[in-house]
Amino acid sequence: MDTIIDGGTHKVAYDPATRTARLAGVMRLNGMAEYAPIAGLLSQCLTKTDVLTVDVAGLEFLNSSGIAVLSKFVIEARNSGTALTIRGSKSIAWQGKSLANLQRLMPTLIMDMQ
Amino acid sequence: MSQTLPRIGPATAASPVVAPGRHTFRSLTLKQAAVTLVIALLFGILGSAVELVFDWRSMREEVAGTMRRTLAMVEPSAAEAAFQLNDRLAEQVARGLAEYPAVAQVTLIDDMGGDLATFARGTADADGTLADRLFGDLSTWTLPLVHEGRPVGTLEVGLTAEVAAERFFERATTNAAMGLLRAFAICGVVVLAFYLMITRPLLRLSQQVMAVDPANPGATPVPPAAGHRHDELGGLIDGLNGLMSAFQRGLDQRDKAEGELTALTLELEARVEQRTAALAAAKQEIEQLNGRLAAENVRLGAELDVSRKIQGMLLPKPEELAAIRGLDLATYMQPASEVGGDYYDILQSGGDRVRIGIGDVTGHGLESGVVMLMTQSAVRTLVASDEQDMGRMLGILNRTIYDNVQRMGSDKNLTLALLDHTPREGGGGSLRIGGQHESVIVVRGDGSVELVDTTWLGMPLGLVDTVEEFVGETEVTLAPGDGVVLYTDGITEAADASDALYGLDRLCRVVSDHWAEPADRIKQAVVDDVMRHIGGHVIYDDLTLIVLKQK
Repeated sequence: MDTIIDGGTHKVAYDPATRTARLAGVMRLNGMAEYAPIAGLLSQCLTKTDVLTVDVAGLEFLNSSGIAVLSKFVIEARNSGTALTIRGSKSIAWQGKSLANLQRLMPTLIMDMQ
Repeated sequence: MSQTLPRIGPATAASPVVAPGRHTFRSLTLKQAAVTLVIALLFGILGSAVELVFDWRSMREEVAGTMRRTLAMVEPSAAEAAFQLNDRLAEQVARGLAEYPAVAQVTLIDDMGGDLATFARGTADADGTLADRLFGDLSTWTLPLVHEGRPVGTLEVGLTAEVAAERFFERATTNAAMGLLRAFAICGVVVLAFYLMITRPLLRLSQQVMAVDPANPGATPVPPAAGHRHDELGGLIDGLNGLMSAFQRGLDQRDKAEGELTALTLELEARVEQRTAALAAAKQEIEQLNGRLAAENVRLGAELDVSRKIQGMLLPKPEELAAIRGLDLATYMQPASEVGGDYYDILQSGGDRVRIGIGDVTGHGLESGVVMLMTQSAVRTLVASDEQDMGRMLGILNRTIYDNVQRMGSDKNLTLALLDHTPREGGGGSLRIGGQHESVIVVRGDGSVELVDTTWLGMPLGLVDTVEEFVGETEVTLAPGDGVVLYTDGITEAADASDALYGLDRLCRVVSDHWAEPADRIKQAVVDDVMRHIGGHVIYDDLTLIVLKQK
């Protein structure tokens, strides 16, 4: 798996073999501007494959700006017709309601909660 | 920063060698001469004394021999005179003996005891004691006179010691003078030889050593002394030259090390100066940054003041709440140090209808405050226009906020729950709930608690352009004594020093425990308990609490 973005406390990687984008660590970036590289990377993944998994099981914290980025990405995936799976963790607090909202933004979204 | 290293070495040190000069020569030669002289004199005196003893003995032999020969010579005549009693012949014998200057007295006695001839010389004995001691035992000679086998008389001769002693003293004096002369001669020869062979080469060597430059001892080696190439002096010079070249090597090494040290010191100084300059630049930069930070802090402080004011100035006044009939209402809001975006409002509209909104804008600061302000205005506008459809209300609110947030270039969104309370005929009331926010705590009169999950009643506002499809509503019937408790996550996620969260369970428990009390007391119990939990820890987020009790 190639680590494409390494922000110290957080990492973003994409594995073409499993077609999985993985977000891990703690993301407390300040505003949409600082999230732009991550948002760009996720959008790029949509152009590469029509079946994509986004793994956030290792993402311990995501602030509201990050949730907004993830929400916009899910809408983008819905509009592009990509078969999207989000792999999360039940033990991480922020994911409960936020991932439910993602599910509602994209009814075909497969939630894989571990 | 410049500092000169102290120089230690012969270049500055005083020469420890005594200055050369005649004094050294004199004292050395003089000492040697004195010692030689004393030794020569001692040996001379000893030699003279031995010689004197031998002289004394030979002198005595000589005196005795002369006497014996003389007496043997005169014996026949003396015996004849004694036999014949011939005075004249006796007189001749005595006179003959008296010819010897050493003879002081002659007496010729016949066998009857009568003097045939007598001679006595008057002697002036000045220091007869020493002469007597030396030669006194030889002064009296007695010769028995025999004629034809018969004793006929006696010849007595007395000698004076003076004469022999005088000659002995004369010879002793000469002897002593010669000895003295010899001693001086030996002394002179020895001193001269010693001076030529040792003292003079040593003085030359000493002068050459003095001439050596202490700062550069290896430059001028001492030349070998003529005639001393292979003796101890030659060895001394070789050793000295070796010593000086070794010293020179040491000095050279010291100079080299000193040079290297100086170079290093200079380099270090240069580096220190560079670092100092860099530090000064960094310090200036830090000061500028500090200045900017201070300015930024002032700006942020001003922003926070404004945010706090915005948040506080639009909250419902206590008298407004007191004026609402049928409901016992209590509210609480405590902004965090960095003001969050908590929102709540309680509005009375169209008779006994009460509209409640509670929400939480993401983030902190002025931007969150502005979103909260526009939310408050938009909700109030919709309430004023008597809009009652939950879906339409939340849809318009979302559209308004979304468009404005886009215009602001912001990523703010908010959770927002709207509650619409209408009194029921015959007591109690009904409460419609819509929009996504924290779970609503419904408390029954007996203190039992029910939770209404609002996740499926809406979407965060401002996140996506339309939310109508996600909006739902639920209705709760409230009997007198029942009620609801609304709050923001500032309460449930209030952290203590060990980061433990207050939690929804504890909130429900406190509410349940105090539900029999008036709304204000219930509110205060919750606030006290939350504050107890937080302790002295930082309040991370705004704390908002609404207690509504159906009368």
